[in-house]
Amino acid sequence: MKKAILLIMVAILAFGFISCSKTDSNVQLIEDSNSVENSSGVVNTKDRAGNDIEVPKTVDRIISMAPSTTEILLDLGLGDKIVAIDRNAKGLKGEKGLDEGVPEFDMMAPDIEKLVSLKPNIVFTSGMSNLEGKAEPYKPLRDLGVCVAEIPTSNSIEAIKEDIIFIADITKTSEKGREIVESIDAEVDKIARIGKDIKEKKTVYFEIAAAPNMYSFGSGVFLNEIIELVGATNIFKDYNSWINVSEESVVAANPDVILTNVNYIDDPVGEIKSRKGWENIKAVKNNEVYYIDNNSSNLPNHNFVKAMKEIAKAIYPDKY
Amino acid sequence: MKIKVVFALLGSIIICMLGIAIGSVLIPFNDIIAVIGSKVLGTAKDAGIDKVTLSIIWDMRIPRVLMAFAVGAALSVSGAIMQSTLKNPLASSYTLGVSSGAAFGAGIVITAGLTLPILGFLTLPLAGFIFGMLTVLGAVAFAASMDRSMDTNTIILSGMVFSLFVNAMLTLMSSLKREDAQKLIMWQMGSFSQKSWVHVMIFLPIAFILIFFTLFYVRELDLLTFGEEHAKAAGVDANKVKWILLGLSSALTGCAVSFSGVIGFVDLVAPHVVRKIYGSSHRIVVPISAIFGGCFMVVADLIARTIISPSELPVGAVTALVGAPFFGYVYFSGRKR
Repeated sequence: MKKAILLIMVAILAFGFISCSKTDSNVQLIEDSNSVENSSGVVNTKDRAGNDIEVPKTVDRIISMAPSTTEILLDLGLGDKIVAIDRNAKGLKGEKGLDEGVPEFDMMAPDIEKLVSLKPNIVFTSGMSNLEGKAEPYKPLRDLGVCVAEIPTSNSIEAIKEDIIFIADITKTSEKGREIVESIDAEVDKIARIGKDIKEKKTVYFEIAAAPNMYSFGSGVFLNEIIELVGATNIFKDYNSWINVSEESVVAANPDVILTNVNYIDDPVGEIKSRKGWENIKAVKNNEVYYIDNNSSNLPNHNFVKAMKEIAKAIYPDKY
Repeated sequence: MKIKVVFALLGSIIICMLGIAIGSVLIPFNDIIAVIGSKVLGTAKDAGIDKVTLSIIWDMRIPRVLMAFAVGAALSVSGAIMQSTLKNPLASSYTLGVSSGAAFGAGIVITAGLTLPILGFLTLPLAGFIFGMLTVLGAVAFAASMDRSMDTNTIILSGMVFSLFVNAMLTLMSSLKREDAQKLIMWQMGSFSQKSWVHVMIFLPIAFILIFFTLFYVRELDLLTFGEEHAKAAGVDANKVKWILLGLSSALTGCAVSFSGVIGFVDLVAPHVVRKIYGSSHRIVVPISAIFGGCFMVVADLIARTIISPSELPVGAVTALVGAPFFGYVYFSGRKR
């Protein structure tokens, strides 16, 4: 499962930025004048990818084909209404009202017949399943009249908040959604207030896939935003989106701190410290290599707050 | 001829130096010489070179360039042997299934999560090598049992059958084990990233010995090029020699593939280019192919790691991108007249 998440991350690389810019221009919340509620209680609106959708009056059988959405739904208190999840969210079973026996599907190639037989009234997808030039796998559902809401992977804190509001609104839990967003704002403010007073910014290398195919990110990724909020600088900030990086470029940048959220090898921190030629990097010399919780730094939803706190403490232990 | 050989040697040294100098940070030549001097001869301490630059040169660039050179050399010599032994300008160890076999071996190790107890980092290369060799030996043995005279076409066909079959098993494995597929693809794509001195220390001597050993068979290679009848008339036990040469060639490719992943085209291009320039006597073709292939690989790797820095391209993509047009030019430019 962990490897699968990595696989998805890599898949996001290509499309992450595109989908980001797409959503920004199409932000449509339910309250907008565009949303029309007709006599039967069906609400016409647009999903986060800008597709027109019809949200049914009652939303009590939810399918979530993206782990980040599943986590949001659970915290909105909708665990008992989820009838199917994607395989990568397996670990959430039994938590916050999510049934242990809830069926799992492969989000890239779901068994549509089985999905239909679960009689969902709304299906959340990540849009990631549309990759690889294949036809959109959820189209048959849409053709059957099921509401399929696409939520492309968000790449900024702002977009994450909008995702939460969107999901809350269509699942009729707007109030809870706003509470979550307010608590995000409070936490972000707390960090930002300390972060903006830090003058001597430490440089950071954040590894999301270990050697030999190391991946990190530049700007246009919420993790980069977090590093800046905390008052530090990403060594690859001049690049865009997720990038694979060469060993040399990291050593040459000589970062003050190295963070990793790699969780598919036994000792990611030790592995980084033991790399040949890395012993002269400041971060390794001063023993400032830290592990950051994978799930919360990986999925674009409200749990990023946890990762943000960990990152802040790792980079400036004396300030946070 | 002497001048051409000297030229090749000098050229290879210059290319290797360039390979070490160019990267995400440019390093002046005298720094490189100073570092090599201080590390190898123990003279003149670090001469004020920054520690970070030092580890970039000594721990990353130099092993990487040496590895690229050795792999390029091994693949090219292997290609030269295959082309002559099988009398087919397009033959290579890949045709006989070395790469599919190696990838299959690596796949088994990756999906089963096996590791050798002490030398863990050697698990993949070793499995790759063993399976690569087994596939080729299987293919050749199959050909030999079908056709006593070991006709070259039989060998090639049987090689293709074996490699397609192994490929199918590989596809099956990666679709059953989706989560490992990514790792396997990465492994197959070929890269010289993260090659340290340990890899160099293991691979370089092996490649050197195998290439050196090949030099004892240059006369047989010459004769085989003319045809088996010729070879037999000259007193060469064609079948036995074929076994030895095919074995040598696959061992070279097998080793290279196991350490660096599948890198195509070098084995095809290098020997042809060398024959065009230096003539087809194997006494020259074998060593010069090694040098030329090595240089070609160093340049390809240089491009792979600098063109989209800080990211890297798979070196196999570069060898094909640069190699195909270059090969077309060299191969067909002589034909117009």
